[in-house]
Amino acid sequence: MSADTRPARPGQDHPGQNHPGKERGALSIAGLNKSFVIGGRPRRVLEDINLTVRPGEFVSIVGASGCGKSTLLRLIVGLDADYAGDVRLDGQRISTTSLDRGIVFQDHRLFPWMTLEQNIELALLNTDTPKERRAQIVADHIALVNLKGFEKAYPHQLSGGMAQRAAIARALVTEPKLLLLDEPLGALDALTRVHVQNEIQRIWMTQRSTMVMVTHDVEEALYLGDRVVVMSPNPGRIRRIVEVDLPHPRDRRSPLLHRLKDEILAELTSGAGQGEEEPTNLVHLPNREER
Amino acid sequence: MASRPLSTPAGAGRRFSPGVMLPPLALLALWQAACLTGLFPAQVLVPPSEVARSLAAMTASGELQAHIGDSLWRLLIGFAIGAVAGLAFGSLIALSRLAETALSPLFLTLWQVPVIAFVPMMVLFLGIDEPFKIAVVAIAAFFPVALATFDGIRGVPRAWFEVARVYRTRLPDLVRRILLPATVPAVLTGLRVALTRAWVVLIAAELLAADSGIGQMMEMGRQLFRIDVVLAGVVVSGLIGFLLDRGARAIERRATRWRTA
Repeated sequence: MSADTRPARPGQDHPGQNHPGKERGALSIAGLNKSFVIGGRPRRVLEDINLTVRPGEFVSIVGASGCGKSTLLRLIVGLDADYAGDVRLDGQRISTTSLDRGIVFQDHRLFPWMTLEQNIELALLNTDTPKERRAQIVADHIALVNLKGFEKAYPHQLSGGMAQRAAIARALVTEPKLLLLDEPLGALDALTRVHVQNEIQRIWMTQRSTMVMVTHDVEEALYLGDRVVVMSPNPGRIRRIVEVDLPHPRDRRSPLLHRLKDEILAELTSGAGQGEEEPTNLVHLPNREER
Repeated sequence: MASRPLSTPAGAGRRFSPGVMLPPLALLALWQAACLTGLFPAQVLVPPSEVARSLAAMTASGELQAHIGDSLWRLLIGFAIGAVAGLAFGSLIALSRLAETALSPLFLTLWQVPVIAFVPMMVLFLGIDEPFKIAVVAIAAFFPVALATFDGIRGVPRAWFEVARVYRTRLPDLVRRILLPATVPAVLTGLRVALTRAWVVLIAAELLAADSGIGQMMEMGRQLFRIDVVLAGVVVSGLIGFLLDRGARAIERRATRWRTA
């Protein structure tokens, strides 16, 4: 998908030419290998991962649990620098965390003693954002995730979907070039999930930063992703990369999405012949009634 | 549910209800009835009315307030010392693996010794004046606070440190905004447990060796065979312990309002 088919960023002073001359969020992963030592023996969790994500692209990663997709995100965000190969953002090798890279975890990880506002502001503490502008930026991001009116709410007063949207606002408030989403909707019920998926799509279309989302929900991966990376476990490898050539915002009923979903599900379940897990455990099958 | 007003007190559901007065009143009635049967001599099983009269008389003379004042003063000073030391020691062994390895076995062993068991030694070294009683209270408060602080700091989820790393939160902010608030609930519970424990130990120490205080008042009553005074001491120390616990709980709830759903 070429960048010019996308709508311009609303509310921006220079739509389509933010940070001219500066690469924004090009992620390149080359020859990445990662092992953990389990029970005294090294065990490979990621093997020869090669992936390039274009600036502004939305890439979904699907795979069975244990395929190392969350580990991959931890490496990209910089929480774990112990890997072989290369992970680079805009040419710079990733070795630690950076405000250029934001992440939303499956559990929202908002601090329970802080209000929504304070939680989001925390992300700005170590930035050079002038103090007097912070409140406005926080307010803008609360509005972005449609949580106006809940500025003073504590996390326990928010529903699961609202808390996850708040976590997205916190991750975006530093304007990262790359936003990583680690099964952000995994803990939500089906209806809330659809709602937050729509929200993520809307936010991404507004922000246009590069996003990489890990999920075990194939439909979700296809609905949001420009490309869907299908991974297989033991060790985690990229099995296939699926282009989803549909403009955003997308229609969930699109026949292409359904055809691709069947293809990916077939791919994921056929690989289960290695005798690891029941195929039904491998992938999440929403909307079974359609099949 | 999301728009619940923040001002709703956490314990709103269990406000004071007249029903809680029933068991104490029943106990009083039973006590009075037992006295009326005449099975026990009146000097041994003093009727509650007699205890109430003694309490009133000691209050009128100011004697009771003086004893309570002395006891509470010791509690305050001793608790402050013990709590500060407990906070410092708990933080030390939580933050330094070396300190934990070196000190925690000794700490856990001493913790198993009843505080009262230290009394004979302490009387030898400190006499029976104020330093002795303050030291007893401080020791009693030290252990629960140290343990709660240790558990509180060690119990901070890794996930929260990861959030701090992702946002590159600086150390002072990490301590002030994340580590401290995260440990507050555990530490406050420890402080509350320590406070009531220290109160109990103080009364016991005053029973053994003191020249004033609620415990000493009871001990004097026993020696003079004034069981009404002994029982007055029981009632007063029980009530004060109850109020200390309630007060500490209220503070705890206020400070951790964000926890209550």
